[in-house]
Amino acid sequence: MLSVSLPAPVRRYFDNWFDSHNPPSQDAILLHNRRLYILPTRFGYLFAIMLLFLFFAAINYQNSMAFMLTFMLTALGIISLWHTHKNLLGITVKLMIPRPVFCGESCELKFEVSHANNSKRYAIGIQYAEQVPVYVKLEPEGTSGAKLRIPTAHRGQFKPMGITVFTRYPTGLFHAWGWLKFDVPVLIYPKPATKARLQQSMVEQYDGQTSTSTIEGEDFAGLREHREGESLHHISWKAYAQGKGLLTKTFQGQARPSIWIDWNMVNEGSLEDKLSLMTALVLAAENEEQKYGLRLPGTLIEQDYGSAHKHACLQALAVFRQPDFNQEFKLEND
Amino acid sequence: MKTTSQNLPIRSIANETVRRSSIFAVCFCFLCSIAPHFRNLPVWVSAIVLLALGWRCLQNLGKVRELPKWVLIPLVFFGGIGVFAEYWTIVGRDAGLALLTVMTSFKFLESRRHRDLLILVFLSYFLIATHFLYSQSIFTASLMFANLIVATATLITINQREEKIDIRQLVGSSTRLVLLSIPLMLILFVLVPRVPGPLWGISSEQRGGVTGLSDHMSPGKISNLIRSNEVAFRVDFEDRIPAQNRLYWRGPVMARYNGYRWYQARRQVLNRFNIVVSEPPVKYTVTLEPNGERWLLPLDIPTKLIPDALMTEDFQLISTKKINDLLRYSMESRVAYEVGADEDPEYLGITLEYPEDLNPKTITMGKSLAQRFDRNEDIIKEVLKMFREQEYFYTLQPPTLENDVVDEFLFNTRRGFCEHYAGSFALLMRAAGIPARVVTGYQGGEYNAVGNYLIVRQSDAHAWNEVWIENRGWLRVDPTAAVSPSRIEQGLDNALSDETSIFRIQNRNPIFGNLLYSWDNMQHSWNDWVINYDQRKQQNFLSKLDLGIESWSDMVFAMVFLLATVTGLFWFIVWYRERPPKPEACEVQFGRLLKKLSRRGFQKRPSEDSRAFLERVTDRDFPQREQLADIVELYNRIKYGRKGSSVRNLDSMRSLINSL
Repeated sequence: MLSVSLPAPVRRYFDNWFDSHNPPSQDAILLHNRRLYILPTRFGYLFAIMLLFLFFAAINYQNSMAFMLTFMLTALGIISLWHTHKNLLGITVKLMIPRPVFCGESCELKFEVSHANNSKRYAIGIQYAEQVPVYVKLEPEGTSGAKLRIPTAHRGQFKPMGITVFTRYPTGLFHAWGWLKFDVPVLIYPKPATKARLQQSMVEQYDGQTSTSTIEGEDFAGLREHREGESLHHISWKAYAQGKGLLTKTFQGQARPSIWIDWNMVNEGSLEDKLSLMTALVLAAENEEQKYGLRLPGTLIEQDYGSAHKHACLQALAVFRQPDFNQEFKLEND
Repeated sequence: MKTTSQNLPIRSIANETVRRSSIFAVCFCFLCSIAPHFRNLPVWVSAIVLLALGWRCLQNLGKVRELPKWVLIPLVFFGGIGVFAEYWTIVGRDAGLALLTVMTSFKFLESRRHRDLLILVFLSYFLIATHFLYSQSIFTASLMFANLIVATATLITINQREEKIDIRQLVGSSTRLVLLSIPLMLILFVLVPRVPGPLWGISSEQRGGVTGLSDHMSPGKISNLIRSNEVAFRVDFEDRIPAQNRLYWRGPVMARYNGYRWYQARRQVLNRFNIVVSEPPVKYTVTLEPNGERWLLPLDIPTKLIPDALMTEDFQLISTKKINDLLRYSMESRVAYEVGADEDPEYLGITLEYPEDLNPKTITMGKSLAQRFDRNEDIIKEVLKMFREQEYFYTLQPPTLENDVVDEFLFNTRRGFCEHYAGSFALLMRAAGIPARVVTGYQGGEYNAVGNYLIVRQSDAHAWNEVWIENRGWLRVDPTAAVSPSRIEQGLDNALSDETSIFRIQNRNPIFGNLLYSWDNMQHSWNDWVINYDQRKQQNFLSKLDLGIESWSDMVFAMVFLLATVTGLFWFIVWYRERPPKPEACEVQFGRLLKKLSRRGFQKRPSEDSRAFLERVTDRDFPQREQLADIVELYNRIKYGRKGSSVRNLDSMRSLINSL
């Protein structure tokens, strides 16, 4: 296996160089000459050694045809260097905005690979880290989709890193590649806590929960003064328009408690444990069709329910105290 | 921007599955490159190849299991032992090839990864090279070229990762790669500085079955040789080609005689060369086919020495190495001369020896001739006259001779080939007291008008005599010429037209003769330019080109320059052919229009199409709304109208946009 390990300063220099030549892209990356790299593969080196051996044999036997074959294979190497490069040149890779996943699940990245040239492209691989790549083939001016499943190990919002698009077609002697760095956030929710822990903490939640300020039911019961922290959905805008101030509609009927999922209420365990528990609570509340709100230090999400609300809560949990949000991360620590 | 470090992403791609079709392809590729070797390999090695490939294919189909390691390792071991038992070595051309073949076959049995398949294709490439140790002919080269395409196609299919193999597409891609490589290969072939070899010792091994002259002569030896149509050598003359009857190509000279066979006397390297010449030298270049022997074949008496060869006292030109490769050398010869007047008396003694107890009739006849004539020249004339005037026949199928073979031949059967005549003539001369020896070689040759050179075949093999006359030295006498003058004047075909196959192109195929001459000429040029392209040829060629490429550094520089130029040219052509299609001209102009409008504050909204946008602009108080309407009208006309007037419309559209 060839992995180049260089002294740290040199390495940093190269990393910077790579970064400055491969700025992350908002949507699509066009692989032009300056974004494409090519180096021999192990087989390329092996092939070169074989050529050297053939060359000396040809000299030794003074065999013209052996010379010719050696040179033919050398020429084939040169031509295939160019063909491998050409096979990737002009290709555009687009990353579809990925659906958020819970930490521990694998995140599916969908790519759209296309090109505008009048040539077929074979065996274009997209690979994350050292995982098994997926390959696509492109017709002239064609488009093709590729899916990559990436394991997740940390919650948060990340930019995908360490993904390359590469090819070894036609001879496998060279590896041409381009970095796929997208400025597209991949959101990974915290891993929800297990059910047992959830149930235990639910009790605590309900114990500490006293205010059932807005009750949702079938029948409209009346209006009362709006209190801070109540959902805006239930404000009577009609009354507000009439200049009566902010009033909240109250309903009578089968009462459902609306809850607060509060950082301060969850006091056991580490940061990640807490977030994981809160995630489970959000999911449980959503599942019960309860109204729920989220209180995190510095963040407050009003009580509501529905998938957009759930997403907002989960996102808040995902990025909560995420170490150094602006920093780019690999999706998985190495 | 701070990032985590990135490793270069070149690594073996883990867990790669290999498709079935790739394995079949590799099996086929290996079979193609090994099959022409079957005649050079022991039968059991060929059998191993076929068994291993068969097993691998069945395994691929799921019919048999993969052989476990404890079976494979002993197999490999016994394979090695087998090769050693066959050749008593594992190095050298034949044993090395057998070993490589056996080991590669076993490698197939344990190949299942992507990596293994690539290595097997590399081995196939390598096997292609080994064929050239056996033959470098045009035929072999063409076959290997086809093999190269197969191997490259295999490499492509392995790397293509398509589920289905599209053979046409594969062969097409592979041929394209190989054809594109040819110009680069030629540049490298011509310009990579050649180094004289060998670098390490090589065992001298023959190339296949070769025929050629032998160091002794007994009845039947040459008549076997002349049944072969193979080319012995080709000769390019600098000036005119001498007449047929002067074209005696000198090979082994035989002075010793044991009553049955003639063989060579031990001779020293020539150190004094007394030759009286009466004509300018004939200058020519011989391209000698490999024959596994050492005789270079000069015309008559060579008067020039070449490197790696020496001349003996009987004017044989002998190479210091066995001729196992095509050899090309320039020579100078004399066809009119007096030579050997100062011959060593000891050697002359040898050339008078003969066994007294054999061939009594011949010996008696020789002795009586010596009594009848005073001058040796008259004796020679008398014998030649006998051959000419009495009932002697020139034939390739002489009756079998027993016991006193010369007596039998001269007085009984009277049917024979050049070796019979040369042999019996020499014995007669010796009996008459005239020093005589037998010279073997070739006589004549076929002129190829297409390439202006002479083809000498094995069928031109011949034997003649040299006799030594006081004060005149060695004289050539060809008794066959007395029996069958047409053999010497016109060649074997004409002398034996009714009993042998026909060798010469002109006689063999009058209709396609020119085509065949062209083919032979091609082989000759192939020999000359490809097989013989060595350091000297390279220097000659480059200096003839007169481009100032002299030293190694010049050559390397020119090579890099040419490689870059040609690759760049290819790159450009392919780029041009595959470039993305250009947008239509009217669209380009329309784009310009939109840009111009946006600069004036009219932005096209993402929701509206171009038509709606332009309508919106014209509805506003746009100062040049009529002009804009015209442009839109023109655009529509170019895009959707008849083709005819589009060029004019485009021009007016452009100028309208310009003036906007």
